[in-house]
Amino acid sequence: MTPLFQYEDDREASSAAKVRALEALLIEKGVIGSDSVDAVLQHFETVAGPFNGAKIVARAWVDPAFKQRLVEDTPKAIAELDLPAGMAGAEGEHMAAVANGDGVHNLIICTLCSCYPWPVLGLPPYWYKDPVFRARGVREPRAVLREFGVDVPTETEVKVWDSSAQIRWFVVPERPANTEHLSEQELAALVTPESMMGVALVACPAAT
Amino acid sequence: MFTRFEEYAAASMLGADDSPPRLDGKLFFSNRWERDVFGLALSLSKAGYFEWEDFRQSLITAIAHWESAPCEGQPRWDYYERFLEALLDVVGSSGVLSRDELAQVVVARRGATTTRTAAKSPHSNSH
Repeated sequence: MTPLFQYEDDREASSAAKVRALEALLIEKGVIGSDSVDAVLQHFETVAGPFNGAKIVARAWVDPAFKQRLVEDTPKAIAELDLPAGMAGAEGEHMAAVANGDGVHNLIICTLCSCYPWPVLGLPPYWYKDPVFRARGVREPRAVLREFGVDVPTETEVKVWDSSAQIRWFVVPERPANTEHLSEQELAALVTPESMMGVALVACPAAT
Repeated sequence: MFTRFEEYAAASMLGADDSPPRLDGKLFFSNRWERDVFGLALSLSKAGYFEWEDFRQSLITAIAHWESAPCEGQPRWDYYERFLEALLDVVGSSGVLSRDELAQVVVARRGATTTRTAAKSPHSNSH
């Protein structure tokens, strides 16, 4: 039988070996330091990313007063939390949170570039910059949400927030039912970037 | 405006032909070397060895080159292989490494390190 794809067996190993050799040579020559690679990646892995947004949302769920402050003055409320520097300043300074619930579902879109709230949501998904998503998000948000698997009841108002260089919106999704027993940290683990964009709900944790 | 080089660099690639794989708001690496090669490109550009935009153009060219190859015999699509190809290209053209040094990297093979280590061990002489 002819295999569908002919893969070079050692392609991965060969690339890995080249990268290792390149890094070793660059370090040996003093071009970069031995910790340079980790240092730049740390930014995406521990400094700015959806893990920050998840912490903010979990705090809002357990502390209604915080949630109130969060929607009233987002940068100020975020500054109360122990998050990496820059969350409430620089990139994050124009961030604004909108909360789902009370008959309102929020969806964020973006019609300009670079206006995604990186510090809290991380890198945008593939489709976020798709002009079709942006256009349809404005014109028929309910249909778009349905395609994402979010069926918003007709009595619930859908609000669409257009992020811009001035304001970068993110959504505080609704806390799922049956999560009273969870700690703030466990709650944060349930929050996805999509839920903070308004294209997903936070799923109930699997019953144990 | 981005105040961090890391964000500027990654943002410049989003929604473009050289957009990197990502999942759940994070860069998606399926192997350690992919993470390392991404970090190397960022580190070198951040340190000023080449403009990030020059690297991006090299990556876009490498991707276009793969896309224009005939289907028959076309290697399986691998974003980070094209990324590595683009990085080696820029590292050469910007003079960070000499042609000889680059050749040394290109011929690196799996086990190259272990062979060297093995050569030092007394057992390697037994056969």
